[in-house]
Order: sequence, then C-alpha cells, then structure tokens
Amino acid sequence: MRTGHYKESFGQYVALCDSPTVWAWIALLLAALLAAPLAVGAYGLTLMVSALIAVVGAVGLNVLTGATGLISLGQAGFLAVGAYTNGVLLVDYHWPLWATLPASGAVAALVSIIVGVPSLRLKGLYLAITTLAFSFIINHVILYAEGLTHGSNGIFVNGAKLFGVDVQRGAPLYYLTLGVAVLTVLATLNLSRTRIGRAWMAIRDHDIAARVMGINLVSYKLLAFVISSFIVGVAGALISLQIRFVNIDVFALILSIEALAFLILGGLGSIAGAILGAVFLSFLPEAIRLVMTLFGGSNPTSSGANLFEIRGMAYGVVIVVFLRWAPDGLIGLWRDIRKYWSNWPLAY
Amino acid sequence: MDFFLLLISNGLIAGAGYGLIAMGFALVYKATGVVNFALGELVMLTAYVSFSIAERTGFSFLALMAATIPVSMLIGLTLERIFIRPMLGEPPFALVMTTIGLAVILRGAVLMIWGPDPAVFNAGLPTGLLHIGPVPFYPAQLTMIAALACVTVAAWAFLRFSRIGIAMRAVASNETAALLVGVSVNRIHAFAWMFSSAIASVAGVLFAANFKLAPDLWFQGLKSFPAVIMGGLDSVIGASLAGLVIGVVENLFQGYIGQGMREISGFIVIIIVLMIRPQGLFGSRDIERV
Repeated sequence: MRTGHYKESFGQYVALCDSPTVWAWIALLLAALLAAPLAVGAYGLTLMVSALIAVVGAVGLNVLTGATGLISLGQAGFLAVGAYTNGVLLVDYHWPLWATLPASGAVAALVSIIVGVPSLRLKGLYLAITTLAFSFIINHVILYAEGLTHGSNGIFVNGAKLFGVDVQRGAPLYYLTLGVAVLTVLATLNLSRTRIGRAWMAIRDHDIAARVMGINLVSYKLLAFVISSFIVGVAGALISLQIRFVNIDVFALILSIEALAFLILGGLGSIAGAILGAVFLSFLPEAIRLVMTLFGGSNPTSSGANLFEIRGMAYGVVIVVFLRWAPDGLIGLWRDIRKYWSNWPLAY
Repeated sequence: MDFFLLLISNGLIAGAGYGLIAMGFALVYKATGVVNFALGELVMLTAYVSFSIAERTGFSFLALMAATIPVSMLIGLTLERIFIRPMLGEPPFALVMTTIGLAVILRGAVLMIWGPDPAVFNAGLPTGLLHIGPVPFYPAQLTMIAALACVTVAAWAFLRFSRIGIAMRAVASNETAALLVGVSVNRIHAFAWMFSSAIASVAGVLFAANFKLAPDLWFQGLKSFPAVIMGGLDSVIGASLAGLVIGVVENLFQGYIGQGMREISGFIVIIIVLMIRPQGLFGSRDIERV
C-alpha cells in the first residue's frame, strides 16, 4: 500500500495539478462562475466583476512581488497607465476593444521598462520607495499631459463593443473579465513552472546566489517588471470599462496598498493565494456593510459616510493581523488545515 | 531677484518641515532598521491631538508644545507596544508592511474621529508679518525653521552625549553586540519610537499652523521620503539638512520649470540620487554574505 503522495517523475513535479479530484472541483467552480449571471442580481454581478478585476491585478503584482520578490508600491501607477491607454484609444482614436485591451497592457509594459531599468540597482525598501516615486510621477504626467489624457477632466469611457455586444454592463462585462482572469491565471501558472518562473523564485530567495547559478539578473528582473505590468495594465483597462469614468483620483496610493494587502492576505508568492486574497478582500467591504446595516440599521447615513474609512481601516487591520498571526496567509492556513485532517488522528 | 528670494525662503520653510519628519524616519530606522511608513500618519494624528488640546485650553505655543510632546510620546510608545514589539525578529518586509497597515488604520481613525473637513489651527503664535530683508515671513514660518534648528541640535547632542543616545548608536551598529554588553534593545526601540513621534508632533503642529489642518496631512510623510533617502536612511543629522535641500529644490522647480513640479520634483531627485548611489548619499553600504 502506498503510504503517501509521492512524485515519481519530473513531469509530475511540474504538472499544474496531478489530482483528478482537484481538476473536478476546478471544473465545477468554472461551471458555477459561468452560470453565475443567471443566479445573482445586477448588484451581485457588479461585485463579482470588481473581484475578478482584483484577481487580475493581484495575479499581476504577484509576478513581481510574490514570485520575484521585488516589492512594488507603484501598482496604482501601472493601473492608471492601463486605464488611460484604454480610455484614450477607445474614445479618442476609436480603436476596437479587442485591440485596446492588449494595447493597454503593452503601454503599461513599456512604462515598466522605464521604471524597471533604474530600479535594477535597488532592492528592498529602496525599490519600494522608488516605485512609489514613479507612481507619483506617472500620475503627474497624466494630469499635466492634457492634450493626450484630458488632464483633470478625466475621460468618459462609453460604448465599448466586442463582436457587436456592449461589454460595459451586466453579463457581457462579467464574461469579459472572467475570460481575462482565467487567461491571466493560466498564463502565470504556466510561467511559474518554466525556466523563467524558477529563475524568478531563485531571485526572490537570494538574488546574488541566483546570479552565481547563472541567472541573468538584469533580463529576468526586467522580464518580471514587463509581464507584471502588462497584466496590471490590462486590469487597469478593465477598471476603466467598469467604472466608465477615468480620473486620476481613482488611482491613489491606497490602491497600491490594497494590492499588497491582497497578496499578504492570500499568502505571498502563491498564485492561488493571490486569487483568494483578492476575492476575500473584494467582498470584505460588502460584508462590513451588511454587518453594519444589521447592527446600526437605525442610522444608515452615518454608517454610509464612514464606510469608506472603515474599508480602508479593514485593509490595515487585515495586513497587520495576518502578518502577525498567519504570515503564510489564507493559503498557508488552508495547507495547515489540509495537513491536519489528512494526518488525523496523528499529529503529523 | 525678489521672486528668487521668495522661492528660497518658501523652500526653506517647507524644507524645515520635511527635515523634521525625515529626522523622525531616520531615528526609527537607525535604532530598529525599519522604515516607519506610518510616520506621516503619526504627524497627522499628533497634530489633531494638539488641535484638540488647543481648542479646549487656549494655551500659548510653548505651553501647547509642552502638553503635546508628552502625549505624542505616549502615543508612539503605545503604537510600538501594540504593533511593532510583537513583530520583533520577523523579516524586515513583514515589519515594513505592518507599518503600512498601521498607517492605513491611523488614517481611517483620524478621519472617523475628527471628520474630513479642514480646520484652521491656531497654535497660539502671533500673526503679524515680519520682514527679513525684502522677504516677508509669518511668525509660524520662522518658528518652523527655529524648530528644525533646535531639534537638530538636540538630536545631535542626544546621540552624542546622553546615555540612551549612545546606547541607540550601539544598537544601530550591532544589535547583538549591544545586547551582549547589557543594552536593553527593546527599550531602545521603544525610545526611538517615542522620540520619533515627539519630533513628528513638532512637525505636525507647525505644518498645521502654517498651512491648514486637514486629513491629508499624512501625505507630508511621503513627501519627506526624498529627504530621508537623500540624507541616507540612518543619518539623523543628514536627514535634517537634506530636508532643507529638498524643500528649496521643490520650490525652484515649481517657480522656474512648471506648475505641479512641487509635487514630484523631490521624487525625481531621489530617483537620480538612488541611480548614482543606491544606498543614499550618506547611508552606509550593505555588505551581503551569500
């Protein structure tokens, strides 16, 4: 009798998943997601779209911060680049949506090269502060390049069509974001089991040691910047489709912190963790709102006014609590629980 | 020429604020090896606390500071105890992220307690204009520069002569060795947070008295990063000088290059500085063992 779960070939090690049960669950989840517009109302669908966009953004940041270990506080800047590219190309240049989405990613990736090259010399805190500085500079450029970006007036993003369907509302928007999210997750999962993904992990664990083993730090760090920003740029484009009005105030610093909170909550470095964290934190404000209407139903206006602050504080509390008590995040908790039950009643 | 002098003087005033906040950053970094991303929020929180004290008592400026500084030291100590102490020994990334989380929490707390509307903070300073040469100054502006000078001298003397200051430098240079010769590293960390929030309160009150008291005051913390980086994260005196430089550079950019440059010129400067010296101008170089 086999006493455990052993990998017997290299193929098993790099397989996305070798358990038919897990595949079945994933298929079930996908089917449920596809059927969701039939079951949930318009408001629920809006929430799910936000969560899916958050998943795309979190998976994108995970490439840079989780897999490669380069801490970025510039997420908001790349989201802004993606959103503005999408808005400008759709509204001012009348590009079709199937071209603007990849273009948003491509422009964000180009900007990331400008950010990435100077950042190559830096690591840790200095890198975080530099990316923060770049996100301020990006916002400034967008605000003052009025001829291209409409400056402080913002852009109304309307009438985006894909195959003749208006994809800015309801089910079409949901299916579009679901498609993009599934594609990004698949792409990053596959990247993480190639040479590139392993090189990134080596850089994260110790960049000097990785260099000694023959990993070209310059090209792999830049590649991480480019791929991460491409995904984040596409996420920004999706945001612009959902909120319909792109303005620089949308892309404040809190967005970058939110993105890091997704990763920390889910478990840094794991794609499944990034997804879990993004979904969980996207629904958290809604859960808080529900709880507040349950307990403070008599005074809905004051709770509504405070909701934004409470939401911000919730991110802070989540970051602090998880770093303190569960540094491996939700995915770490899940692994512990799984190990506990599969070994029960033995301790290990 | 008057325009130039005005830019320089405005720069020195804003720079004095940056210098104060940057010293707060450097003090905590020197003793604990953590960049406290929540310092800007601490500046805001202590300014609001001081505002509430001033509203209730109507103290003059010095009495107000005498009341604010102990309170803010207590706040710093409490935050260190609750948020930072339990994280001791965790990797720096976790600690830095904790301070970011703390920053978000403090920001929300200030908004919920004091509300989003800006307030005029009367810190008990006279309001008549003073002229130094051709340049007019408000007393609050001169107080800012004087405060930077006082705090810089005090910090230098403290690190140079006092027992705690020397212990702090010992911890900064080698934590384990300091522990072995009987320095209580925990206490030094707590002291660093206390003094850092005391400096933050001075900066906060003066920023609020010079400009306005609004819940976006925390942003001054981020705007002081260029000064911290330029001075080197672990150089307290360097931070205070770099603050003045950044303030002047910002105003010259704004005056001669273009609208809105004030917001980002500091960040452009640090990117250039970090390109040339990745550890800051006066920072000590890390040697890494593989």
